[in-house]
Order: sequence, then C-alpha cells, then structure tokens
Amino acid sequence: MGDAARALIRSPRTRPVLLFALALALYLAPFAVGTEYRLFIATQMAAYVLVAIGLNLLNGYGGQVSLGHGALVAIGAYTVALAMVDHQWSFWPAALLAMVAAAAVGAVMALPAFRLSTWYFALITLGFAEVVGGLLTEWRELTHGFAGVVGIPKPVVLGHTLTSFDLYWLALSLNILALVGMANLLRSRFGRALVAVRDNPVAATAAGVSLVRIKMMAFVTSAAMAGLAGALFAVQKTVVTPDDFTADFSIFFLLMVVLGGAGRLWGPVVGAVVFFLVPELLTALQSWRMLIYGVALLLLMLYAPHGLVGAIETGWKRLRTRLGLSNILPAPSLATARETVQPVAGAALSVRDVEKRFGGVAALAGVSLDVAAGATHAIVGPNGSGKTTLLNMISGFYPVDGGTILIDGRSVVGMAPHRIARGGVGRTFQTPRMLPQLSVLDNALLGAFPAERQGAAAAALCLPRARREQAASLGDALRYLDFVGLADRAMELAGELPHGQQRLAEIARALVGRPRLLLLDEPAAGLSLAELDRLGELIAAIGALGTTVVIVEHHLELVANICRSVTVLERGTVLASGTPAEVFSHEEVIAAYMGSHTSVGQAAS
Amino acid sequence: MDLDLLVGALTAGSLYALVAMGFNILYRPTNVFNFAQGDLVMLGAMFGATFITLLGLPWFVGAALAMLAVAALALVEEKIAVAPVLNRSASSHGWVITTLAVSMILANLVGLGWGPDPIAVRPPAPLSTDTFELLGANVSSYQIAVMVITVALVLGVEAFYGTRSGKAVLAVAEDRDAALLRGINPNRLSSWSFFLGGGVAALTGVLAAPVLYASTGLGPSLLLKGFAAAAVGGIGNNRGALLAGYIIGIVEAVAAALLSPGYQLAATFAVMLVILLIRPHGLFGRAEARAV
Repeated sequence: MGDAARALIRSPRTRPVLLFALALALYLAPFAVGTEYRLFIATQMAAYVLVAIGLNLLNGYGGQVSLGHGALVAIGAYTVALAMVDHQWSFWPAALLAMVAAAAVGAVMALPAFRLSTWYFALITLGFAEVVGGLLTEWRELTHGFAGVVGIPKPVVLGHTLTSFDLYWLALSLNILALVGMANLLRSRFGRALVAVRDNPVAATAAGVSLVRIKMMAFVTSAAMAGLAGALFAVQKTVVTPDDFTADFSIFFLLMVVLGGAGRLWGPVVGAVVFFLVPELLTALQSWRMLIYGVALLLLMLYAPHGLVGAIETGWKRLRTRLGLSNILPAPSLATARETVQPVAGAALSVRDVEKRFGGVAALAGVSLDVAAGATHAIVGPNGSGKTTLLNMISGFYPVDGGTILIDGRSVVGMAPHRIARGGVGRTFQTPRMLPQLSVLDNALLGAFPAERQGAAAAALCLPRARREQAASLGDALRYLDFVGLADRAMELAGELPHGQQRLAEIARALVGRPRLLLLDEPAAGLSLAELDRLGELIAAIGALGTTVVIVEHHLELVANICRSVTVLERGTVLASGTPAEVFSHEEVIAAYMGSHTSVGQAAS
Repeated sequence: MDLDLLVGALTAGSLYALVAMGFNILYRPTNVFNFAQGDLVMLGAMFGATFITLLGLPWFVGAALAMLAVAALALVEEKIAVAPVLNRSASSHGWVITTLAVSMILANLVGLGWGPDPIAVRPPAPLSTDTFELLGANVSSYQIAVMVITVALVLGVEAFYGTRSGKAVLAVAEDRDAALLRGINPNRLSSWSFFLGGGVAALTGVLAAPVLYASTGLGPSLLLKGFAAAAVGGIGNNRGALLAGYIIGIVEAVAAALLSPGYQLAATFAVMLVILLIRPHGLFGRAEARAV
C-alpha cells in the first residue's frame, strides 16, 4: 500500500491527469447538478476567481497591497454596461474595451506606487476606490447615477444568445486560461523578478530588474483581469448600480487572496470557494458578516500567513517526509549544462575625483582610481573609509556628488542602478541578499533576467521562443552554480544554506548575468579558512575568464594573493595605490591600520 | 473667496491635521501606519458623545474618559495586531492587513453597538457654535478654540520630541536594533506611542463631534483625509501636517463651491497625488538615503 502510494505521488504524470479530470468534471457538472441558482453562483464565483488570480499576482507574489480592485471591477462592469446599453456594442469588443479601461486606470493608480512605499500604495488604492465609488454616483451624465445601468443584454455568438450554461462555460474557460497563463508567467523570469521585487528589491536592482516596470506589469495585468471579471459580472447580473461596488467590495478580494494563500497559485481558487460557501452556511449571521471577515483576516495574518493552501502544502511536505520521500525536487539536467563557461571581455574602470557627502559628512572627498580591463583590483582601508560607498556609487545605488566614473569609457554618473547592471556590471553585497523562499537555482536564474528578451505575454503563453530562452538561461544558471561549487545544492531553498554558501550563490547569480565588471563587497567576511581558500581560487578563476574584478576586502592576505593592484582608502581619500607589495609596505598604510607606534617588524610578527 | 468658507476650511483642516498627528505619533517608533486610525477617531467621538450627551457628564470628564477608553483600545490593537507581525519580521508589511482588519472589526462593532444615527454633541460652555462677526467673517468661538487647541497640541508634541524620551522615540524609528542595544525598549515605546496616538485620536474625535457629528460613517473619510494631510506634510512631520491640513481643508471647500460636494474627495485626492508625484516625501519630508 505504501509502495503504491509512493509510486503514484512520485509519477510526473499524476498531476496533469488529475487536473484534466477536474476540469472535465467541472465542464460536465451542469448536466448533473445544474440549477439556475447554482449556475448563477458558480458563474459569479468564477468572475471573483478571475479578480483574485490577478490580485494574487500583485499582492501575493508582488507584495503590493491593493485595496482598489473593487473599483477596477466596477470600471469593467460599467464600461461593458454603458457600451452595450447606450451604444449597442456587441459583448466581445465591449469586454475588450473594459479590460483596456481597467488596465489604463490601473496604470494611473500604480504611478504613485513607484516612488512611494508599499503602505502608501495601499492607502492610495483605498482612496481611488472611494473616489471611483463617489464618481459613479456623482457623474450622472455618464453613469446614470444612483439608478445604475439596467437591461444589459446577454452576449451573442454567431447569432446564438448565450444561456446560463454557456455563460458558466465561458467563465470556467476564462478561469482555466488565466490559471495556466499565470502558472507560465510565474515560472518565467517575470515570476522571479516579481518575487525579488517583493522580498529583496536591492537584489532585484543589482540583477538588472527595473522595479518600476515589473510593478507596472503586475498592476496592469491584475487590473485587466479585474476589468474582464467586471464584464462577466455585468452581463450576468444585467443590472449594475453604484451600490454593487462599495469600498468593502475590494476587501472581499483581498480576503479571498489571503484566505486561500497569498503567493500560492491555487490560493485564489481555494479562497473564492471558501468565501462563497461560508455565507451559504451562515445565513443566520448575515449582519455580522463584515465583522467575521475582519476577525478572519486578522487571525489569518497572525497564524496562517500563507493561507489554506500554505497550510495544506506544509502538511503535504510532512506526509512526504513520513513516506520517506525527499522534499527537494531533482535538479533539471540539460545537455547544454555540460558546456564550459565562456570567457568575457572585461571592462575598464576609471574613477576620477569622486565625492560623496551625507549631510555634513564627506564620505568620499576626491577619490581616483583606475582598473585595467581584465585586472583584479582591491579596495582596502579601515572601517568608515568609504569603500562600500565607492562601490555603491560605481554600481549606481548612491548618487554621485562630484567627479566622474567611466566604465569602458562611458560615464555612468546619473544612470539608474538597474541600467548600470544591465550594462554588464554585477555585484554582491556585504550581507548576501538572497530570495530565501526560492531555490538556489531560482536565485541564480534571477541573474539571467536582462539576458532574456521575451515579453510577459510570450511568457504567459509559453511560446516556443520563450521556452528556448528559458532553457538557455537554465543551462547558464546550472553551469555557473557548478563553477562556484554549488551544483549539488541547486534545488535547496536559498534561505536554508549556510552563510558561506549563500555568498557563493550570490556570486553565481552575479556571474549568470555575464558581467564585464564584477564588484564584490567583502566576500570573505564570515568565511572559514577552507572557504577562504576556495574563494581565492574562485576569484582567480573569474579573473582568468577575463572579467574585471574589484573587491572591497579586509583580508589583506587574500588581497595580496589574488590582486594585481590595490587602492587604500582612509577617511574618504586615497592613501596609497599600486601593487600589493608596494602598498602594504607603505608607512602611512601601516600607520592607518596599526597605529603609528608600530614598526614593520612588529607588524609582521 | 468667501471668508466664512475659509473659516470652515481652516477648522476642518485643523481636525485633519490632528488626525495626521495621531498617525505620526504612532508611526514614529513603529514605522507602522495605522489603518484603524479613522475608526479610533470615530470611536472617540462616539464615546465622547455617549458620555457627554447621553450620560450628561461634564465635558472635560467625558473627554478624558473617552481618551482613556480609546487609548486602551489602541494599546490592545498594538498588542494583538501590530507587535506580533513586527516581531516576526521587521520589514514585513503584514501590519497593513492586520490594522485594516482591526478597522473592519471596530467599524462594525460600533455600528452594531450604536446604530447608524448620528449623535449631536454640544461644545463645552462658555464656547458655542453660534457665530459672531470677526474681521468680516462669521466665526464661532468653538471654531476658534479648535484652531487654537490644534496649534497648541502640535507645538507641544514637537517640544516633546526634543526631550530625552522624545529622542528615544526617534532613535527607535531610525534603527530599532541599535536603540535596543542602547538600553531603549522598543516594544514599550511602541506600546506607549499607540496609547498616546489613541488618546490624540479620541481627542480629535471629541473636538470634531460638535462640528462633524458623531456617527459611524466618520471613520473612512477621516482615514483618507488624515492620510492625505500626513502624506502631503511629510510623514512624521507634525508642523507639515498642520500646514497640509489647512491646504486640504481649503481644497475641499473650493471643490465644494466650484463643483459640488460629491467631488470633494476626488479633488482632494487629485491635489494630493500631484503634490506627491512632485515631492514624494511630502512638502516637508526628508528623503532617506538608501541603506545598501
């Protein structure tokens, strides 16, 4: 019995077969148990699921709390209603217009989100919801005011008016398409980028992701889906009034997403089903409904932040462990992964008289350094000398107050950090910035973001070109993980790796982007002696590929072993510059590190 | 512009500034923006109305009791909805949803407890809402009192942040862990800030009651307008909130006069968005250098 269960669970064909059977059952259900009332509820639930799937993309995966999706549904519903009733449009172009209108409003709503933090965004969407609700009533000339729009006709296809059966099948088909498209999108580079924007925006930026564009994509996609759901809503109810779209309406969708499981593919479906079933069972508590929802939301966020699907997943993992199955998926094996890593044309770095002030403190007061293409250069100095500041300015994370920075002759002053990253600059951070909930492989794949060209639509539809790019990136990621020595841990969760190996994973991620200039910020910090040796070999190997490497380090022995040239900073100015031997015997450098009453002999012992 | 409208606008603006100040007090040590703040103000108004009008207690006693009750509720909110989420992960945004949930709970409890009818509250003697003429405008002694009290409170709170305890609050806002290492207890400061923020919210509600009527619909609109005032002034900056409150009060009055009262919120929001797009940290806020 245990063997059979294990075989069934392990087989890769089980899942698709089960899903297909489920879809078939849902399509055939109306013939068996379909009453008008049940079809109505099911179709309405399907419309809600559509909104919830979109909101899950934005909130669950993207980490943006939107309290305005009810307003977007309203815009979709009203667009279809007004187009069909006032202007005799057919349903299909009206639905398309509804999606466009909702997406446009969604884009406008999203604009403030780019420069402001997450909770500002939540309040602004809440405000939008209230404003739209008010405008639906006030703007009588357009929206028919309180009375709403009545008499919305059913859609017509080739002369056949859709019945409630047909509407149900339409809604169901849209749901299936949405789920499949969402699954494809989340598996692609956009899914990773979105999670990165949520969990570690700095890592995302360093990997070349434009935070603004990803957030906009998530918002516009979820808004379009809400608009489409609104279209379904309108033709099903045949009447739309402002009362249908109160501010509470938006909260229902958030509740569905949180209840089902934010950031889980099936979360919205489970959440919508439970959300719809519960009131049916609790009709006696109707007036307490919003209160119960509030308490449910609070308890969920406190005790089950990943919702029902999250709880089921955790239970499933425990079951697998008890059956003796590993929870770590096997690493994908690709023929291309066995190819060797390609050499890179390193970039030359030129920094001239760079200044940086924080308030009244001059962190950098005129620093200049030159790194030849393909060289390995170290920046050393006591704490507070400005090393990391300089690195941050080269990679664009801090604005430059004065001076020039040229990479391969092109100035990067004033360029956004993700642009600089896309131009071939990779970097790591003092504390490894990983996406702890994703696997090491997925973290490395994040580095391939700028190399792939597929758009979000191509990814969602899983077009052949998108699949080819994804396979190529996968090969690259596996190759570089092998290069840094993490090939056997590729499928483990990044958050569970020990510190030293997270550092290696971060280096792999930077390498996947094929940087011509690699900036490493204190890569040796916290490493054991054995790991230090490995790091030295790794950096030497990276340099041998041709990449220009700039390291900020405290480990002078490591620096002396692998670097061709060194710059010593102290209190924002260059103290000495040259080969390691020259620099480390320089009087002032020794004084800066050891104090001025030590002689060379004492320093060495 | 009609001077009477201006007086009304400045009075409303003072109230919005007070709501914003409640936000700022809570925000300082926790970096949490309390979505239930509007409901706390509304509760203050309802409690105040109950104690003063329905139970006939003297104004100051009723106000003080209302402040205590709401402050205690705010403390409970901090313990069950904010602290657990912050302790789980300092950068998590789960508190957006938990404070939102608290807002839903409070709003519905009040609705079930008090019903939908507004309660009238009279201002304390010798103040009244009867207007007299001053510099060409019709103004009531109560409106003047509200404006004066608001300015006094803003200055008082700003003075507090100059004291040692106030500096401790700013330290926790800057870097929670570092403050902990210096012997400051961030959890206790957060609790105290919620207590005080709740008290200020209740005071705002009690002050607003004679002007805005104590009813359960007060919550959401005050949340949004208070947020607008806080955001435009610069989150955490109380003097900015005061000025921003006035701006919003005036925008509202102008919109109601030129368009119609139904467009007030839309106009306020549009102005707020434009200001935020130009200066994302508000008129007086400071941009933070990113920590990389």
